[in-house]
Amino acid sequence: MLSIKNLSAEIDGKKILDGLELEIKAGEVHAIMGPNGAGKSTLSAVLAGRPEYVVTGGTVTYMGKNLLDMSPEDRACEGVFLAFQYPVEIPGVSTTNFLKTAVNQKRLYNGLEPMEATDFLKMMRQKMELVEMDKSLTGRSLNEGFSGGEKKRNEVFQMAMLEPNLAILDETDSGLDIDALRLVSNGVNKMRNTERSFVVITHYQRLLDYIIPDFVHVLYKGKIVKSGDKELAKELEVKGYDWIKNELEAAV
Amino acid sequence: MLAEIINSNFNRYASGAEKDLFFETRKQAFEAFETMGFPTQKNEEWKYTNIKGVTAGSFEMSDERPAHAKTIFEKSVLNEIKANQLIFVNGIFYPDLSILLEKDKSIVLTNLANARTEYSELFNRHFSKYAKTEEHSLNALNTALLNDGAFIYVPEGVKPEYPVIINHYIDSTHINVLVQPRNLMVIDKGAEITLIETYESIGFNASYTNVVSEIYVAENAHLEHYKVQQQAGESYHTNFTQMFQESNTSINQVTLTLDGKLVRNNLHFYMNGKNCNSLLYGLYIIEKQNTVDNHTRVDHAQPNCFSDEKYKGILKDQSTAIFNGKIIVHLDAQKTNAYQRNQNVLLSDEAVVNTKPQLEIFADDVKCTHGATIGQLDEEPMFYLRSRGIPENEARKMLLNAFADEIAERIKIPELVELLEKKIEEKL
Ligand SMILES: Nc1ncnc2c1ncn2[C@@H]1O[C@H](COP(=O)(O)OP(=O)(O)O)[C@@H](O)[C@H]1O
Ligand SMILES: [Mg+2]
Repeated sequence: MLSIKNLSAEIDGKKILDGLELEIKAGEVHAIMGPNGAGKSTLSAVLAGRPEYVVTGGTVTYMGKNLLDMSPEDRACEGVFLAFQYPVEIPGVSTTNFLKTAVNQKRLYNGLEPMEATDFLKMMRQKMELVEMDKSLTGRSLNEGFSGGEKKRNEVFQMAMLEPNLAILDETDSGLDIDALRLVSNGVNKMRNTERSFVVITHYQRLLDYIIPDFVHVLYKGKIVKSGDKELAKELEVKGYDWIKNELEAAV
Repeated sequence: MLAEIINSNFNRYASGAEKDLFFETRKQAFEAFETMGFPTQKNEEWKYTNIKGVTAGSFEMSDERPAHAKTIFEKSVLNEIKANQLIFVNGIFYPDLSILLEKDKSIVLTNLANARTEYSELFNRHFSKYAKTEEHSLNALNTALLNDGAFIYVPEGVKPEYPVIINHYIDSTHINVLVQPRNLMVIDKGAEITLIETYESIGFNASYTNVVSEIYVAENAHLEHYKVQQQAGESYHTNFTQMFQESNTSINQVTLTLDGKLVRNNLHFYMNGKNCNSLLYGLYIIEKQNTVDNHTRVDHAQPNCFSDEKYKGILKDQSTAIFNGKIIVHLDAQKTNAYQRNQNVLLSDEAVVNTKPQLEIFADDVKCTHGATIGQLDEEPMFYLRSRGIPENEARKMLLNAFADEIAERIKIPELVELLEKKIEEKL
């Protein structure tokens, strides 16, 4: 599904990703952990095509295509979805209208007719239940005045609406209380299938008790420095990131 | 040159049948205009706005009554609004096309020339009493040469069922036309009305339209006032609107500038009584090398008044916007609350904005804030929308609509909001 080779990227002339390698097959869930500032959000932004980030080397192949060549909107229509760490508030753009446009743009891209209004509303209702999102939120402007937790739920709700092949969740767990965390994880788990892959970026092992990953990677200073299974996450929880840092320094 | 044309037109009034009661007013104003002349960029109030296109131009006043006015009026989007209507073409009144609905028979809806005789008491009490001519030479010019315009009187306590639309068509089909519309509206005690003033062009020659509107709002009255400027092409439009508010009045005013080569709006509020509420909202969408200049002035002359002002602009190409917002809190105007913001989105590197708040506060118990922003569309919302599969163009349109929405929300007539949305769609 996704093959990242020797990826380097910078922003404002500052090198952030530095030879990153990652292979993801269909249906797999990969967790990416790492200390603050390691480059986790940068990786997700580069995959989603954020214009401010400059790729300075390496390749990203998604479903056999060169992902880096595509505009952000084409990536989305090809099935890449990013749940933002900090979803932006957009006053004046209604959540419903925005989603209708997004869903229909994706359909248009894939040669499908726009959805009937009633079908769309039905789908909205179903997907909202998935994360128990309050109906009143979709009548409001996109994320405007939403609490931190509501914003994160809205991200998962949008993911459910857009049914991506590859979903990247950037710290979707941060700022959630335990109930919201369970809801969000449930939403993700219900969407897991053999076709769909997930990259779950998180700072804490806690989320991985709910979303059980197939692989866990540690991102540090712009590259993956350690990979393992879910036990690695538990080890990190106990020993902290200093353990990895020390190990790396000892190796030099 | 325009100066000569003005001279000869004035002389026509001096010698012709127009020499009447009204001539003294014209004469004084003409002399005032002669002394002041057209504003130049040396004048602080016109620093960024060059009206050479007007002064060096050649325009004629026209008495013609174009036969196609009816068709044009019927095609107008605003004609879909169920409303009382006054129609003027090049400042000439068309009573046959104007409409006073049965339900609203108690209001006076006529032209100024008629009001001068038929409603002389009201006319003399209010005409040329609010819009100052000193320091505003274009007001003097308007008074000296005025063609005609709307006269509206809403009697005490009357709340018309339907809005009133004042349609000014500027027809430059055959010539470069010079028009001096003059409107006077008197809203009596406790009355409530919605007024729409629109300016539309017909034809492709140049035009210079110089408007003065005076609006008197008596105690406890409420006014919804919308000004829509959509004269296109080589249209030069200067406008001076003076609101005069007595105590316990409220005004919701929205100024939409959707087209025109050069538009200068002067919108002045004078709060002459306590507990007034004044809302001023504006939206301008500018393209090409066009200029839109909004000068507003709110005089808080009495205590306990509230004013809220927000002007938003979208600039394309090499266009220029000027915003100058004066708030003057007089010595007696304690407990004043006055807010002002101006926000601009630039869609091109070559567009220019000059924005300046001017607060002059002489009272001490006052809350006053102001702020201005100039910038491109934010990158973050743009990327958010695109990351959901919405193409860049579409995303930009969504964000600009959202930007304009804050002003559109202030418009209580759905057809007018529709017109605005259509214009935005066209321009963007
Ligand atoms: N716009 C920017 N300009 C300069 N540096 C940035 C910018 N955005 C992020 N960075 C830097 O890039 C590094 C990686 O950030 P990020 O990818 O957000 O880390 P993580 O998500 O792992 O905490 C940090 O050192 C951060 O300060
Ligand atoms: Mg991050």
